Amino acid sequence: MVTKISIQNLRKIYDTPERRVHALEGVNLNIEDGEFICLVGLSGCGKTTLLNMLAGFVEITAGTITMDGKTLTQDYDKGVVFQEYALFPWRTARQNVEYGLEIRNVPEEERKRISLDFLRLVRLEEFADFFPHNLSGGMRQRVAVARAMAFDPQILLMDEPFGALDAQTREELQALTVDVWQKTKKTILYVTHNLSEAVYLGNRIVVFVPNPGRIREIVKVDLPRPRDDLAPEFIKLQRHVNDLIRDF
Amino acid sequence: MQTSEAPPVPQSMDEKKKEVRSPIWVKLRPIYPFIVILAIWQVAAMQAQGNQGRLFPTVDAIVYRAWELVTGPLFRALAENPNLGLFDQIWKLGESPILLHTLNTAWRLPFSFFIAAIVGTVVGILMGRFAFWESFFVPLLSVLLPIPAIAWTPIVVIWSGIGDQTVIVITAFASFLPIAMAVWTGVKTVNPVWIRAAQSMNADKMTIFRTVVLPGSLPMILSGMRIGLARAWRAGVGAEAFAGIRWGLSAGIFDAQEYLDIAFMMVALGILGLFGFVLEKVLFQPIESRTVIRWGMMEAMGAQDKKV
Repeated sequence: MVTKISIQNLRKIYDTPERRVHALEGVNLNIEDGEFICLVGLSGCGKTTLLNMLAGFVEITAGTITMDGKTLTQDYDKGVVFQEYALFPWRTARQNVEYGLEIRNVPEEERKRISLDFLRLVRLEEFADFFPHNLSGGMRQRVAVARAMAFDPQILLMDEPFGALDAQTREELQALTVDVWQKTKKTILYVTHNLSEAVYLGNRIVVFVPNPGRIREIVKVDLPRPRDDLAPEFIKLQRHVNDLIRDF
Repeated sequence: MQTSEAPPVPQSMDEKKKEVRSPIWVKLRPIYPFIVILAIWQVAAMQAQGNQGRLFPTVDAIVYRAWELVTGPLFRALAENPNLGLFDQIWKLGESPILLHTLNTAWRLPFSFFIAAIVGTVVGILMGRFAFWESFFVPLLSVLLPIPAIAWTPIVVIWSGIGDQTVIVITAFASFLPIAMAVWTGVKTVNPVWIRAAQSMNADKMTIFRTVVLPGSLPMILSGMRIGLARAWRAGVGAEAFAGIRWGLSAGIFDAQEYLDIAFMMVALGILGLFGFVLEKVLFQPIESRTVIRWGMMEAMGAQDKKV
């Protein structure tokens, strides 16, 4: 396997007039090409901060992030799926998926073909011409996944994308995410505080602890897919991660 | 996979069918309060005696007067020359005073509003995008907004004389203020997650503005336009009266006061009301139903669906 992203001695400090927040300290992480990495931890442990740094929303205080051996620039291709519904209401599902392709000046015909391919991938091709407000929450997030992948980004960053959905829909979308990942072989970084979700999805789980935000341990998940969340090994692993998060 | 996420198609189509099939008396329901008021008016007016009757005309007298105001010149011309050509007949119809009053108001007001909409949008965008223009315009607008635009009329008359230009300046100015404020607010309050989504796909600033900020602030912009139009309407009608111009519905109303021509006033008022209603129906509702309502963005603003 090839190292896709290398994070070294990463530090993030937020300075506000009232106080200084030590969000991340000494983060070292190598992510291989095509890996599915889950970031877990309690609130304020810096997992979202790390994701936002990779997305380019937050500046790095110290340390380096390299991708394919080169220092990360702001404008590399990354797909981001947000926790909030971030689809553009004035665009249909297909037009939303086409947005990233428009930015890259892909010709119209090809845009249409690619966007329908990706809507098919998330099983929404019949809803291509629906506006987001006519879609359910789960469908909207599926369109968001298609939108984030349609322009063939280097990595996919997902920030608790299914956190606002009901349990049943969330399970469906987790299975769908694994399916999409296996078909596209994208490197995925996935932030969640749902530990069962992390064990179900990830090749590795990066466990963060707060004050200052740092990596406690990286847990390898070797369970075969599709994973059974009621299997004893699954639950054992989930308990292990739970212990790591709470007792330190 | 499909079970818990039933496609919402059939439901929404059902709803549409129901709307189409609503019977005629349901659609005409908004008219009945007017009928009640007119009936009360009629009964009250019929009690008026002699000269009082001129000051409080019955509904049928008003309707007759309206007919006379519209067709008067035509019928007089026909009485003189029964073989009048069709073109001349239309020409004579165009000479009726109420029509001239209406036409004058009808071009001046949308024209002023159009200017205000363009200038207001440009200023609002400048304020929303550049801190310099924001700090320049916000204090100005905050001071100017509470002043009724009508109060500027004497100054504008002195500067630009009596005529259309005075009415246009006051109307456009009155309308510009709320539009600029609304566009500014709209641009500033676009949902930040849309902007981050566009940024994450490497859209540059100009593209984000064009493809995200503008459509994203459309609900606020449209509601600003609505307030702007309402203010234009009020200021325009007032300015017509105070700027001393000859043609225009409210100029006509103030003229009619001299002759105690109540029926004329009522007809002109009716046209003014109809005007606002038509502008709402032909200008705002089609734009809204094709954009923000179709996109489901009005629910977020707490708007009720307008079926009336």
